[in-house]
Amino acid sequence: MKPKKDSLGYVVVFTFIVCVAFVLLLSVANQVTLPRVEANQNYASHYAVLAAFGLADSSTAKSEIEELYLSKVKELPARPISAASAYSAEIDGTPYLAVKITNPGLWGPITAILAADPPAERILGFEILEQQETPGLGGRIGEAWFTEQFKGEKVSAEGRVIVAQGTGKGDPDPENSRVDAVTGASRTSDFVQILVAKALAAVKEIGGSL
Amino acid sequence: MSPARKVLREGLWSNNPIFVQVLGICSTLAVTNNLSNTLVMVLGVTFATAMGSWTLSLLKDLIPRKVRMIVQVLVLSFYVIIVDILLKAYQPAISKQLGPYVGLIITNCILMGRAEAFAAANKPGLSFLDGVANGLGYGWVLISIAFVRELLGFGTFFGLKVFGEGFTPWTIMVMAPSAFFLVALALWAANILKAKAEAAAKAPKPKAPGAASPAPAKQ
Repeated sequence: MKPKKDSLGYVVVFTFIVCVAFVLLLSVANQVTLPRVEANQNYASHYAVLAAFGLADSSTAKSEIEELYLSKVKELPARPISAASAYSAEIDGTPYLAVKITNPGLWGPITAILAADPPAERILGFEILEQQETPGLGGRIGEAWFTEQFKGEKVSAEGRVIVAQGTGKGDPDPENSRVDAVTGASRTSDFVQILVAKALAAVKEIGGSL
Repeated sequence: MSPARKVLREGLWSNNPIFVQVLGICSTLAVTNNLSNTLVMVLGVTFATAMGSWTLSLLKDLIPRKVRMIVQVLVLSFYVIIVDILLKAYQPAISKQLGPYVGLIITNCILMGRAEAFAAANKPGLSFLDGVANGLGYGWVLISIAFVRELLGFGTFFGLKVFGEGFTPWTIMVMAPSAFFLVALALWAANILKAKAEAAAKAPKPKAPGAASPAPAKQ
């Protein structure tokens, strides 16, 4: 036991040193991993765009993603305010558009990529890029069974796809403009419905100006 | 019993963080509807508790009493952020799945509980072991609960389908209330088992009072 351990000077100096030391270590760890984290984010974004266009899936080799992205996807300069970025790709001679869009979710923003035909009448694909929904509940919007439901889904005359309680296993009918919500996460599902409608409006806006 | 064995035994059973200390219940409710999330949570908590306890035990003679809790929080959150950074860099998919829950490891009472109850008065090696034992003691209970919840809630085991198409998922198992029921049932079962073990230990040769009773939390 050091006698002066509880003196004011010691407490202040000790606390200061400990804080500086640990924060320094953290910033080093953060800096060291930063390029890797950024590469991961880039990869995730490019993969999601390709997956939404139906040009890649989980069986696509990781090394091919970048090449595929550069050769097939065009990043569009003009975009509506609501979308963060817009992309176009030609699939079997037909042009398609995609937008990256961020909209509020239950706990934080949800970022997703939605690809559709230029008049936004049918969805080509939908991928969730980032979300902070409740793990195991709303967080399941990132799972394949949920996003797969949007593939080929017809957009209703009001320009939306309804996300509502169903069997919880996925709605197989692409003509009813309706997909199954995540069981136990109706609020998150509402947010996804709003996000999809916004993304469709953005696609339509770009499609109309082409 | 050697101190190391005693520490292991206490963490895993007789002073189990869930059954006896009733700590870390918040995360028990939150992540246990899915086995893979639970596993990552358990590994994160075990790592942060063990490393945190080890570091705090090393520093214990230098830490002034007035600021010991601040230092504990600092050290523990340091390890939690390290886990978060490592996951983001090397396991982006899991990091994405768990979202904010990794950062919330710091709010797990087991971390502070062990730092305060054990690491503040024991040697670094033993404190590390205590962290591991408590992390695993927390872990096996959580994984058992997650096993039941995922199986009944989704009909899956680590995401693999167990039941056929005819299976109707028990929606309640996916939601937080089912964790309350299951934790309560687990507590009940553990207490019955412990009471039986105590009775059995006392009955044949009643000697050494207190030897069979659950070890009180260390100060």
